[in-house]
Amino acid sequence: MDKLAVLDEINRLLEVDDETTVNTSMRLPSALRDAAVLAVQHLGVASSTTVMTAGALRQALETAVMTAALEAHYRQHPETRPSLVEVALALAAQDGSPLAQRPDLLERAAAQVLARRPDADADDVLLWAEAQEAASV
Amino acid sequence: MRAVVLDNEAVHALRTPRHAKHRTVLAHLEGVAHRRRKGASVIAVVPTAVRVEAGWDRTEPASAVINRFRVGDRSLDTSAADVAATIHARTSKGVADSHVGATVRGLPDDDVVILSSDPGDMTLVSSPQAITAVQI
Repeated sequence: MDKLAVLDEINRLLEVDDETTVNTSMRLPSALRDAAVLAVQHLGVASSTTVMTAGALRQALETAVMTAALEAHYRQHPETRPSLVEVALALAAQDGSPLAQRPDLLERAAAQVLARRPDADADDVLLWAEAQEAASV
Repeated sequence: MRAVVLDNEAVHALRTPRHAKHRTVLAHLEGVAHRRRKGASVIAVVPTAVRVEAGWDRTEPASAVINRFRVGDRSLDTSAADVAATIHARTSKGVADSHVGATVRGLPDDDVVILSSDPGDMTLVSSPQAITAVQI
């Protein structure tokens, strides 16, 4: 099975509207299970540890598929990969931040952040730009 | 929780690598994936009437790439159709835009972002619910 076929199959399985459950042989660290039981009983984070575990697993799988699908697309069309600044601008727009109107500031912030942290992400750029804006007032 | 809703133009842009706004919409999906990796609850959705207008048939081989991005459907079911009909009567906007408005009303999320070529229309069909309309 190639990687794209794997992604398609995971997506298909994630869309199956099926309440059937299975007992798995998945082994959880007992301390983690006990922490989950306490969180369910006393913090109201989910109706059961099963719901909590399934929800976390779904979130992780969906995110992994989305990330892998984007990467697969960039491998086929490298010119379509958005830059760090473009992602930062998109997030600023989604956040309703005034930084969405300041591509110049985000360009500078990205360059400065990347010079110190080559693995910086879009939120690092936004935070740095926001700090620079605040300092300049 | 945040929901990012795609309109017709956003779907067109996403489907076509040569589209002028393709990278822009990809940047938004990257933002969704990025925030999810950091633990935020963010989803990307498309109203099914928008899919009709944009010609996005999930069963076609040409849709394989866009299908993988996990942009979930929001169906025009009975209750959504009733809400969309009211929005259509109030705004005179088309079926797809009215379904966007109905989708916004039906989302449990208090933070709704709509990627659109016409943010003004999106604000109109979503009213009175406050949304963040992002021009693409």
